[in-house]
Amino acid sequence: MRRSETKAVGRTGGRALGALVLVLVTAGPADRLSAQDVSSLTERLSALTAVTGSERALTDSLLAWLPGSARDRFGNVTLALGKGEPKRLASCAVDEVGYIVGNITDDGYVRLRRVPGVLPQPLFDQQMLEGQRVTVMGDAGPVPGVVAVRSTHLTRFRGAATAAEPPFSVDDAWLDVGATSRADVARLGIHVLSPVARLKRPLRYGDGLLAAPFAGSRASCAALLAAALGQPSPHGTVVVAFTIQGSYAQTGLKAVRALQGPFAEELAPNVPSQFRFTPVETVSLAAADSVRKAIVRWIGGR
Amino acid sequence: MKAPSLVLVALTTAASVSAQDTSRVAEAQSVLAPLIESYGVSGMETPVRATVQKLLPAWAKTETDTAGNLWVRVGQGDPVIVFVAHLDEIGYRVDSILDDGSLRLLNQGGFFQSLFEAEPALVHTPKGDVPAVFLPRDTGTTRHNPPPVRASVGTTSRQGTLALGVTVGSTLTMPKQFTRLAGTRATGRAMDDRVGDAAQILALRHLDRGKLKHQVIFLFSTREEIGLDGARAAANALGTTPRRVHAIDTFVSADSPLELQTFATAKLGDGPVARSLDNSSVTPAAYVDSLVQVARARGVPLQVGTTNGGNDGSTFTPFGVVDVAMGWPLRYSHSPAEVVDLRDVAALADLVQAIAEIW
Repeated sequence: MRRSETKAVGRTGGRALGALVLVLVTAGPADRLSAQDVSSLTERLSALTAVTGSERALTDSLLAWLPGSARDRFGNVTLALGKGEPKRLASCAVDEVGYIVGNITDDGYVRLRRVPGVLPQPLFDQQMLEGQRVTVMGDAGPVPGVVAVRSTHLTRFRGAATAAEPPFSVDDAWLDVGATSRADVARLGIHVLSPVARLKRPLRYGDGLLAAPFAGSRASCAALLAAALGQPSPHGTVVVAFTIQGSYAQTGLKAVRALQGPFAEELAPNVPSQFRFTPVETVSLAAADSVRKAIVRWIGGR
Repeated sequence: MKAPSLVLVALTTAASVSAQDTSRVAEAQSVLAPLIESYGVSGMETPVRATVQKLLPAWAKTETDTAGNLWVRVGQGDPVIVFVAHLDEIGYRVDSILDDGSLRLLNQGGFFQSLFEAEPALVHTPKGDVPAVFLPRDTGTTRHNPPPVRASVGTTSRQGTLALGVTVGSTLTMPKQFTRLAGTRATGRAMDDRVGDAAQILALRHLDRGKLKHQVIFLFSTREEIGLDGARAAANALGTTPRRVHAIDTFVSADSPLELQTFATAKLGDGPVARSLDNSSVTPAAYVDSLVQVARARGVPLQVGTTNGGNDGSTFTPFGVVDVAMGWPLRYSHSPAEVVDLRDVAALADLVQAIAEIW
C-alpha cells in the first residue's frame, strides 16, 4: 500500500502525540460498505448546515445514523470501538464558517456577523452571500431568505464599477426574508444569534465529482462515518469523534482529548478538494472512498 | 394627470385586499412558479414557450413566428392593441471549448457576472441539461467585474466535453427554484420577465371575451435581453396597425436599503407600476392619465414611476404606436435573488385584463 502522511503535533494531558493527517491513499482490502455509501453520505452531509457553535442539527443526524454513538457534555458525537490498549482517536470537525444574526432592523432586514471572524478567503462573503439564497435556522425551522444586491439596471449611467471597489463583506449584507418589520422577523422565529448559511444544494457533475460548500470537510467526515458504520475490527480501542467548534482553535477536539484521552495516536482524515471555501468546493467521490478504506485499515492497526 | 416620480393613485381597502389574497396569490403562484423553473437564455426560449403554452387557457390559439415569438390573438376589429412580455432570461452562451475541457463563455444580457462565478451551473443541450460549475476566478478580488467567467463540466479534455453533448452555442444558467418568502413575497431568478408572462396568462384566463371591442394581441417575445430582437420582428410585421402597445416588464425598484432613493421608489406590495419613463420610451402624459382611470375603474392599486432599462414596446414607437409600459416592483434585478410581492403579480394581471376589456 502506498500512503502519503503528514505529521502534525497534538497534545494530550501535557504529552505530545503524533497526529496523522491522512492525505491520500490507494485502494485497500474489502470491507462492508461500498463506495456508493460514502458518496451518499458525502452528499447528505454536504446538504446540512453546521455553523460553528450551532452544529446541533448535524450532530443530531450523526447520532441517528451511527448506532451506539453519544453526545459528550461539550456537544461532540463520539463512539468507542473495541477495547483495551492502545487507545487511539479518529476525528473529524463538523463545523463550517458561516454567519449568525447580529441585528434586525425596524423595516425587517436582518444583519449578520461571520463566525468565526476571520475570512477563509478574500471573496468568501461575496461568493457565499451577495445576491444569493440563504437559510436562516429559525426556532420553528429553516426560513428562506436572500441577500440584497444592487439592481443592475439602477447602476447604469451612474458611474461604472471600478477595479478599486473592494469585495463584498458580511458588513454589506442585508438579508431579506420577505418581512416588512422587526415584528415580522420575530414571528418567523428569527432572533439575534440565529444561524445563517448559504442554501445547500450539493451538485454531482463530471465523472464522480461533487460540488458543495465545505465539500472537502464533509467528505472527510463522510469517510469516517462510513468507516465506523462498516463495523471494522479495531486494534485496541478506537474513539471515533465528530467534533464541534473546529474553527475555534479546535476546541471540540481538545475537549475529546480531555474527556476521553490520552490517545496514543490520532487520525484526522482529509479528502482533498478543489475551489476550497467557495460555494462549488469540489471533491472526487472516489477519493472519499479511498480515504474511507484507509481509515478502516488504520482502525484495524494495519 | 401630471405624473410625479411616484404617486399612489388608487388603493383598495386593506380588508378587501386581504379577503382576496389567499386565492389570488395562490393562483398567481401556480402560474409563476413553473415559469420561473423553466430555462430560456436569450435565443433558446423553447422550454419557456412550451410552459406558457401549457398554462394558457384551452381556448387560446397560439402561433409561433420565425423569430420564436408566441402570439395569441383575441377579438376582432380596430384599433389593435398589443401586450408584450418577454420569454428570455439572462445567462451565458458557450463561446469556445478549451483544450482542458472547460468552457469559455459569453454573457447574454447585462448583469453582475460576479453573481455567477463559483456557482453551480447547468449547460442546456439537445440531449438534456449537463451539470457544471462556474469556475471561481484564479486571481483578483474585484467586486462586480470578475475576470472572464468560465465553466467546467468536470471533464479534462475538449473531446470529453463534446461527448456530453456540449457544443459551442450551448447556453448556461444557474439552477433556480421558485421560493416563497414571508407574507406574500417570493424569490427566484428570472422574475424578469416571467412575472410579465404570468400576468398575461392570468389576464387571458380571466378575460371576458364578450367585452372585447377590438382585437387584442398577447405577444410572448424572444431575445429581449440582447436587444429587443423578438419584439422588433413583431413590430416590423405589424407596422402601423396597432394603436397602442403595452410592454409588461419589470419595474426595477429602489425599494431596497442599497439603492439611491432619487427615483424608482415604487414599493413592493403597493401594486403594479406605470413605467412612464425609462431608457427606451416615454409614455405621453394623456395615456398615463387614461391608464390611471382604467385602474381606478377596476379598483386596481397603481403606482406611477420612472425607472431604468429598456422595454419591448419601444420597438413599436417608430411606427407611431404609443408605448404604455407597465410592470411590477422588483428588487435585486438580474440577480439570482430577485424578489416580488405576489399581490402585485395578481394586480398586474387584473390591470392587463381591464385594459383589454375597457380601454
